[in-house]
Amino acid sequence: MSTILLVDDETAITDNLQPFLVRSGFEVVVAGDGDTALARIADAAPDLVVLDVLMPGRDGRSVLREVRQSGGTVPIILLTQIGESGERAMALEEGADDYLNKPFDPHELVARIRAVLRRGAPPSGPSLAGADRLRSGRLVVDRTSQRVLRDGAEVVLTPRATTLLAYLMSHPGETVSRERLLEEVWGWSFHTSTRTVDTRVAELRRVVEVDSADPQLVVTVPGEGYRFVGPVEAG
Amino acid sequence: MRRVASWSLALLPLVAGVVLAVLGRSGRLPGDRLFLSALPGDWALAAGVAVTVVAVLGLLVAGGRDRRWRRRLAAVSASAAQDRRLLLSRLDHELKNPLTAMRAATANVAAGSDPSQAAAVGTIEEQVLRLSRLTTDLRKIADIESAHLDRRPVDLTDLIEEMVDVARDLPGAAERDLVLDLPRAPWPLPPVPGDADLLSLAVANLLDNALKYTPPGGRVEVRARESAGSVVVEVADTGQGIPPDELPQVWEEMYRSPSARSVPGSGLGLPLVRAVVERHGGRVHADSRVGAGTVVRVELPVQAAA
Repeated sequence: MSTILLVDDETAITDNLQPFLVRSGFEVVVAGDGDTALARIADAAPDLVVLDVLMPGRDGRSVLREVRQSGGTVPIILLTQIGESGERAMALEEGADDYLNKPFDPHELVARIRAVLRRGAPPSGPSLAGADRLRSGRLVVDRTSQRVLRDGAEVVLTPRATTLLAYLMSHPGETVSRERLLEEVWGWSFHTSTRTVDTRVAELRRVVEVDSADPQLVVTVPGEGYRFVGPVEAG
Repeated sequence: MRRVASWSLALLPLVAGVVLAVLGRSGRLPGDRLFLSALPGDWALAAGVAVTVVAVLGLLVAGGRDRRWRRRLAAVSASAAQDRRLLLSRLDHELKNPLTAMRAATANVAAGSDPSQAAAVGTIEEQVLRLSRLTTDLRKIADIESAHLDRRPVDLTDLIEEMVDVARDLPGAAERDLVLDLPRAPWPLPPVPGDADLLSLAVANLLDNALKYTPPGGRVEVRARESAGSVVVEVADTGQGIPPDELPQVWEEMYRSPSARSVPGSGLGLPLVRAVVERHGGRVHADSRVGAGTVVRVELPVQAAA
């Protein structure tokens, strides 16, 4: 059974998430602040940490930095409060494996925890979520320069399609719903616009797939969303 | 202080005149009479010049004052907008933790509750979700107003056609006449510099609104024209219409007309449209007649504002 360390200063959240995670089949350790979190990571050796960013005293980002700087590879999912995607990108660069915006659906948190645990910690180097370059076969996404290369040659994508591809590639094998993509890539929750996602996926396929009518990389999961198929490595 | 100074300046010539007159009467100035004679036409010219000089000076002063007021007004409204954004982001922020806790708590209750309570738990879950969406969307509108815009040439013909296709799939769309009228001759709509995703969101919201407030059997028309450096998009419906006194308020966040309460909505659709269009340097306008219908007009400049 996997042990999850749940870190949040709001007891209303930990009191309710803990039993939910336990019922989902995890063992749960709770910490109410950053310093306790660091102590629990050392003595309870959790398989994964769910870490709130905004806490009084030592905040989540500082805990994350401390863990990564001392060579810790425990997977960390950040609970972000900040709507700005720039801030989230910064958190990922500092080594978080995934993030979830508050307020989230607790089932979504469980799905993310399972996905990150399944992915496993990379043997070395940054996690997929924070990597500057993502590679899958002949396809490379350079996040810093926002460029996409196929067989070493640059292909032209709109900035949004590039971000979408990077997001799907950093969650390989995971089915991601249109709503989640809208929230994570576009920063919207307007449900009238899931077609927007389909349009960008179509653009992606025209460029990255060999035959866009028969996609092999970005596949549709009927009734659920999209999934990036194939191994992805950082660097 | 400034007012005292300008009045003194205005009265100075009169005071000087009075002083000189007094000096003249008391014989301290040369006593010869000064005769000034000119043709009537020249007198008229001199009078005209004098009046014009006074009028031009008056206009210059008024113009300066106008500019000062306009600057002050812009500063005040910018700071009001900034305050509103701050308030929204604080509200959004303060609601996040309670909503997260409530969602976790209802998920727990849902797992352990007996069927007789299922409806109540379902309602709580739904309403918490609605609150979450509301705060996110409010925040997003504030973001659109301030965030960086990714401008590229957008083909509005394609965009509108696609969004009308999407709207045809909406529940209830089949019972309403949805008519699209886009120009092809002598040339199609010019590309508009903007963010295609945001513009689709705006068009989708307009269509959604028009269909929502139009009864079955009604008609929704979508038209676009190029006009004086802008593309004008109109979404017109034969819905219930908006009373004139409520018309300006439909662009405000979370305003919901008392007569529209029966139709589900968040009151964020049109404010979102306005935020997107104004961010593109455009304008929005709505005309309506109760019982006849509503037309919402969106103007998007073809040239990006510098």
